[in-house]
Amino acid sequence: MGPEVLVLLFGEAVMVFGALGIIRFPDVYTRLHAATKCDTGGAMSIILYLVLTMDAPALVRAKFLVLAFLIAMMNPMVSHAIARAAYRYGVIPKVVVDMYAWDNP
Amino acid sequence: MAQESLLVSAFYLLVFTAVLITYRVLRGPTLPDRVVGLNTVTTKVVVIIALVSVMREEYYLIDLAIVLLMVNSVGGLILAKYMERRGRSGT
Repeated sequence: MGPEVLVLLFGEAVMVFGALGIIRFPDVYTRLHAATKCDTGGAMSIILYLVLTMDAPALVRAKFLVLAFLIAMMNPMVSHAIARAAYRYGVIPKVVVDMYAWDNP
Repeated sequence: MAQESLLVSAFYLLVFTAVLITYRVLRGPTLPDRVVGLNTVTTKVVVIIALVSVMREEYYLIDLAIVLLMVNSVGGLILAKYMERRGRSGT
């Protein structure tokens, strides 16, 4: 038990609040905002804690770091694609100013 | 040992949040809501597999987690493409 526990607690807190945001937010785009935070930040924090505290060969730690890097690369890409597809699918965002509609009439 | 109980509590809390998000998958009002919920649940399952592979000290499970993450991202892109084309043909 050292200061590495704070990384795990941070990751768990981000996961819980992301889940609450996905349940309680009113719109697809705000839910996507909460989901992206809890996917990328929380998952990377927990995997970083595992890398810091486990006793394993260096190859296994390298695999965990590769997993964290892939999460950081792939999750924002998928979230961006889903947001654009939701707009093209016809979900109207509950906002006052819709700047995407200005640029793409 | 203290580390083991910490990992077990993290495992149960992740399972609890995954069950919470399953509500959004089951009754999301629209199709993009369900896709967002599915992607989040699958990323949580990736983290759960990494936790289990450290707890049981069976490190081959991490390859499974990497492959599941790749399949999840490609599936999300395919679903996004499907939604985009279906919306454009409908209107």
